Amino acid sequence: MAKYILKRVVMAIITVLIVSCVTFLLMMSVPGSPFASEKALTPQQQATLDAKYGFDKPLPIQMVNYLKNALHGDLGESLKMQKGRPVAEIIADMFPISAKIGVIALAWAVVVGILLGCLAAYYRGKWVDSLLRVVCTLGISMPGFVVASFLLILFCSPVGPELLKSFELTAIFNPDLGAKAYFMPCFALGLYPMCYTARLTRSSMLDAINQEYIKTARAKGLKGGKIIFKHALRNALIPVITYLGPLVAFTLCGGFVVESVFSIPGLGRYLVQSITNRDYFVIMGTTIFLATFVVLMNLVVDIIYKLVDPRIDLTKGE
Amino acid sequence: MANRKKKPVIGSLQPDVDSMLDWNTLTNDDFAPASSEEKADFIQQRKSVSYWSDAWRRLRKNVVAMVALGVIVLLILFAFVGPMLVPYGYEQRNLGAENLYPHHYTLEEQEQYRQATSTLDPQEAVEQARAEAEAKGEKLTSREEALIRAKAKTGGEYAGMSEEEVYAALGIHSHPFGYSNEELERIANGEKVFPHVFGTDKLGRDIMVRTMYGTRVSMTIGLAAAFIVLIIGSLYGSISGYFGGKVDVVMQRIVDVIYSVPEVLVILLISTSMSPHITQFISDHQGNALAEFMRTIGPNLIAMFIAFGLLYWVSLSRIIRGQILQLKQQEYVTAARALGASGGRIIRRHLLPNCIGQIVVTTCLQIPSAIFLESFMSYLGVGVSAPLTSLGSMCRDALSGFTTYTYRLIIPAVIISVMILAFNLFGDGLRDALDPRLKK
Repeated sequence: MAKYILKRVVMAIITVLIVSCVTFLLMMSVPGSPFASEKALTPQQQATLDAKYGFDKPLPIQMVNYLKNALHGDLGESLKMQKGRPVAEIIADMFPISAKIGVIALAWAVVVGILLGCLAAYYRGKWVDSLLRVVCTLGISMPGFVVASFLLILFCSPVGPELLKSFELTAIFNPDLGAKAYFMPCFALGLYPMCYTARLTRSSMLDAINQEYIKTARAKGLKGGKIIFKHALRNALIPVITYLGPLVAFTLCGGFVVESVFSIPGLGRYLVQSITNRDYFVIMGTTIFLATFVVLMNLVVDIIYKLVDPRIDLTKGE
Repeated sequence: MANRKKKPVIGSLQPDVDSMLDWNTLTNDDFAPASSEEKADFIQQRKSVSYWSDAWRRLRKNVVAMVALGVIVLLILFAFVGPMLVPYGYEQRNLGAENLYPHHYTLEEQEQYRQATSTLDPQEAVEQARAEAEAKGEKLTSREEALIRAKAKTGGEYAGMSEEEVYAALGIHSHPFGYSNEELERIANGEKVFPHVFGTDKLGRDIMVRTMYGTRVSMTIGLAAAFIVLIIGSLYGSISGYFGGKVDVVMQRIVDVIYSVPEVLVILLISTSMSPHITQFISDHQGNALAEFMRTIGPNLIAMFIAFGLLYWVSLSRIIRGQILQLKQQEYVTAARALGASGGRIIRRHLLPNCIGQIVVTTCLQIPSAIFLESFMSYLGVGVSAPLTSLGSMCRDALSGFTTYTYRLIIPAVIISVMILAFNLFGDGLRDALDPRLKK
């Protein structure tokens, strides 16, 4: 177990390193100086700026320096959007908003998804199952912005029904509204993971239901609900847990769109804006931060997976 | 003996067979050997059913998959044949036809509307009323005058009503398709004008044509990405699975690294950093066929293809590796190896054809996810670049005015959802047809 964890941690560190190096090299390969903006600089100014940001040194040294600084939490400064502000500070400022929406979305998606999956498996072949299958297939076929658009049309446009408009949801995110403000973004973000989880739970639940120990439980005279939640679900959840890692990544990236639609001042929207503005240090810092975050989450999920299911021996055969 | 009837014993479990002996009415002729013609009649030649026709037979029975296939064909027609039928271009700005709704009112109805809502200048209204009053020999009080003035100012009895409400109040229903007034006049003069079925946007561009082109972009990207994934994924997976050992370990570690990084992030990164290079390349190689091609589809799309090539083959390669790990234990592979076949030949001739079902299904399910991702990127503004359009960028453009021009948001959003849904359902059906064991 310890060996496995160690191995995974080393793997994660290597991944983060590779991602950081690739990001750095890709960003530095972009032709033109990051300072080439509105007005032309004199060679003198250019040299001063290059010296200030270390652009006058050879690329490998720049990279090592950048990574060294990054380890100390210094990801450089924003060059354009919020001139001179440290990228790490921007991230610390904006990530909590993104994280809050992501966590709410994930939470409802996983809980509702698992419940619906159990329901579909329990009523397999009945109308409940068919209905849920239609809903879930629809759900995984709608990109986040489409869901968000439909929500906006339903809740905020004159076309929508009066009943929904009476909730007075706003198209532009306003944290002062509390739960109301989070409803649409979290729903739009969570719909796809919810449907995916439901499908996954349904199929692994069907596997579990056909096992012998379920028959035993039924023979003992246990009730349907107890069998499903106490006996079958424990085993059915394992494949769902493996999916949690990619799910975190999906929610994070899906957040870009949702934040753009509802003008939420989160990190995803900021990253997209910095791409259109070509603010290289912000792009670099944010990408490395988000990639590290996802790799870490994957690591955590893998370890949880291992803890939950002692049957799987991942070290074997490697 | 045989003629003696046994007395039935009450409660006996033995069946009474005596009566059944009379059933046999066969004569000796019935036992004559069959002639050769009769024998020939019994041999039925059935065509052997190939793997694909077997799969097709199963697929045809799946109603959902067939409907999905029908929708896909319709969308392909819409995207690739549609623009030939509509006389507008996707960049063409139809002057005087800006911001048209997908419905219109005839010129007479518009005249009625104008008369109903036309308001006199407050001063004129008062003077008119005064003249009327004088003709009757009365005089207007200042209070009445003020009332008239106020009424004229607010726009008569239809004040505060939206255009649709006024039309509804007048009992006029709109007609489908958008026409500008100038086009309506041309129709009145006997000319034939193609309608703006979905209306036009704020620059006067026909939305239906733009939707067609957007669908075309999405479809092309989906198919091209699936193709790239197919090539790289099956090569990588089969090599890793077949050779095993150290090769496999190294190759799988690379897959692990790629797998744990969110693709969207990498694609954003690649398209940001590659676009300037590609733009540079295009301007350096004016007239070069490749550069011209790149310019048509735009640097962002190229970057997206590169990213697909770099990242998206991972899942397919994993599936194929798993399959090959199983298949390479089979006897026919050992036989081929014993006969001296090279690794490449075994992979090509023996292993890949045996996991063709998996390959087809995974590739097919790759199409919707590529379409999904393209629309995502275009929505964020880092996908297809103007003037070319895509369903994602159309949604993005429509978002700012969605309360007034809701249809502009609904149309591309519905089409993209239907497209992804159809591809998903068809892929599911294909999986059931090609590999019935997987069916749940």
